[in-house]
Amino acid sequence: MFRRSILPQQIAASRREFLRGAIGSLSASTVCSGFAAPLSAAVQPSQKTIVVTFGGGARDEETFAEEGQENIPNLLHRLLPQGTFFTQVRNGGILGHYVATASIVTGVYERFNNFIAQPPPNPTLFEYYRRALKRPVTDTWVIAPSNGFQKIGGSSNARFGPQYGAGVILPKRLLSTAMQNTSPGADLQHLLQDNYEMPEYQVLSTSQDRELHLEALESTLRLSVADFVKHAQTLDSADELSLFITRRLMDQQAPSLMMLTLHDMDVAHSGAYSLYIDAIRRADRLCAELWQAVQTHPEYRDRTTVYIMPDFGRDADDDPSGNGFQHHRTGSDMARTTWLLAMGPHIRQNVVVERPIESIDLVPTVGCRLGFSTDTPGRCIEELR
Amino acid sequence: MTPADLQPASFATYPALAQAFAIKHLALLRELPMSVCPSFLVQIIAFDTRFPVERETLEWQCASLESMEAQRRASLLNPLQAIALPEELKRTNWVRSPGVFVEQLTASLWSSGQINAFHTASKALFEAIPERTDTTDRLLLIVLGQGANVSRPSLMRKLARQGIRLEGIDAASAKTQIMAEVSDRAKRMPASYAHWYMDGGTAWDVPASFDPVVSTSYEQLAPLRRYVLAKMKSILQSGQSGAEQMRTRLSEMPTQGSISARVNPDPVLQRFYTELFTEGSGTQIFSTSFVQWAGRELARRAQPTTLLLRYGPRQRHRGLNEMVEEPDSMTPDPEGSLVDAEMNAFYNWIAMKRITAPGRLTTLAWAEGSSRAVLISAGTKPNTISNRPLTISQALRAKYV
Repeated sequence: MFRRSILPQQIAASRREFLRGAIGSLSASTVCSGFAAPLSAAVQPSQKTIVVTFGGGARDEETFAEEGQENIPNLLHRLLPQGTFFTQVRNGGILGHYVATASIVTGVYERFNNFIAQPPPNPTLFEYYRRALKRPVTDTWVIAPSNGFQKIGGSSNARFGPQYGAGVILPKRLLSTAMQNTSPGADLQHLLQDNYEMPEYQVLSTSQDRELHLEALESTLRLSVADFVKHAQTLDSADELSLFITRRLMDQQAPSLMMLTLHDMDVAHSGAYSLYIDAIRRADRLCAELWQAVQTHPEYRDRTTVYIMPDFGRDADDDPSGNGFQHHRTGSDMARTTWLLAMGPHIRQNVVVERPIESIDLVPTVGCRLGFSTDTPGRCIEELR
Repeated sequence: MTPADLQPASFATYPALAQAFAIKHLALLRELPMSVCPSFLVQIIAFDTRFPVERETLEWQCASLESMEAQRRASLLNPLQAIALPEELKRTNWVRSPGVFVEQLTASLWSSGQINAFHTASKALFEAIPERTDTTDRLLLIVLGQGANVSRPSLMRKLARQGIRLEGIDAASAKTQIMAEVSDRAKRMPASYAHWYMDGGTAWDVPASFDPVVSTSYEQLAPLRRYVLAKMKSILQSGQSGAEQMRTRLSEMPTQGSISARVNPDPVLQRFYTELFTEGSGTQIFSTSFVQWAGRELARRAQPTTLLLRYGPRQRHRGLNEMVEEPDSMTPDPEGSLVDAEMNAFYNWIAMKRITAPGRLTTLAWAEGSSRAVLISAGTKPNTISNRPLTISQALRAKYV
């Protein structure tokens, strides 16, 4: 009745074999299981960090495995050679998108109800960063497409809390409100798509509100509501809208710490494989556009580290307790295992790391890189220190 | 109340066959840990409207556990006994509403970090039950690609890797021969719910003598689908529609009633068809998801001898709320539907392979209206191609050793 799913080691091996073939310049010596020495030990105070997560889970089959390569030409051929790639990132927590993303930003496997929008109980990366480096509120932002993520910028932890949290922008909520105000009947439903698994969130009532509301659009992004809607009409998806907002923030606020979650691919829950693949291809393109924007932006060029990591995978094709790519409910190795790509001035290029790391290692890694401590169970990733 | 407290009267509200089954296996149910007993009750409470093979399987599982050496059974159940459950969950009326309990149990297992321990323990328990001997020769027929360009070389590549590409199929006779094949098998191996035709759009005309083939289509089930969509819409509008809420409330929908009676008079089919929409994800809005899920659930539950699945073009993608409120878009997406169907056909093959003895499954997937098909059987050599002109009937009888 049950079959053994692929072990993480096998996943890593299949990725490594593929990567060897895919990247012509990759030599055996750069495929390491240990860690490489950093190129530069000095941390510049002006460093900036952008974390990109895929809130939807992407499997090896549709990304780095042999058949998936056609879906990620940018990640594979343009970005991966410029960074350090970790083939085995394990998520040991709850495989729900909000709670998993919250776990990534707190560095602790959170256990709260995935379907209730609430501040995480543990301090977030943004709070550690702002308190330790005395950064202003305008220096940290989260751009998340899904309703429910509005509480992710700051924790309910009494030692930190809202005063150190990040600003949160939910582009779809902004657009939805803007349409009510300015463009009744505008055909932008495709940008307001919420994923099939969680069409509506219960929002836990709290006193903290770091979400950017429509009335602050002009003061924060220097963007009129009318222009916002007008630009949205040129876009194809919610993730494109999120990238637009991210770039606008870069131009207007130049924050030092940002997190962008791409969520289109969670349409997989509807069972339509073609839509899931389209979303992966779009995410691949948007990651390249973001990296290009970083490289050409005077505030970001040569001082920005970008981390790209899906929150987790999805179920295996042959797992009888799941339904393949559609969900991530089995808790199997395939569903728990994903990858991380890091790029930036201090990151070694063209390096593949096979040793397993955990998704909660990202917070301490950013902390040790930028020079602040985090009270988390994860460990600073030595290869990125 | 714990499983050890169960009494015959505990099942007073169960339908007749379910009640008799529960009482017959009361000693086993009393012995099961709280973390797993309600899962058995989920199966038992619907016993009266389960497929015959589901009833036999449940009887086999219970009898196997009962006949197992007590010490071995205890060692298998101990890890499940060790699963800690919240007091509030234990206090729910899990005998009367075992489905709701199981939904809440799942959430609890995730949030308490016990999901892997539970999976491991339940897997060990079911693996300890000996498999029933089954030598049924099964046939899976899949039709896909309606309205799409099916000429690309990579068509159905996942399936093709397992068998032989047939590039010379006679398209003109394919439909008639597929239907005749299903009909002939049903006549030769008559059994209830053993031969099926599920269509993702408007069904092909079936021969007058198609019985005992069970056939239905997305179009035919539209009243049921709209009924479920209306329920989904009201849940969405209630503002309390997380995924678990949605699943729980849909699972509470009755499987018998005026709407399901409109699509079929058979209570067993009423349950099955209703659950395709209440338990499936995306089945309510995309016909391709419906056909895949129907094929998967048929394999798991009815274990068909013959299964014909025909994928049609699903509606184009729109916002979820829009699709729920206006489910019947007039704009199809044939190319996207083909990509969906290719993956879904692969999943259908996996599901049928799982229930079939080695070498006993034949699968033929035909790109509708074309000369292209893939055949997987005991004799086919994986990843090969034949350009030989063939009819569907000839292909099914050819030996490709």
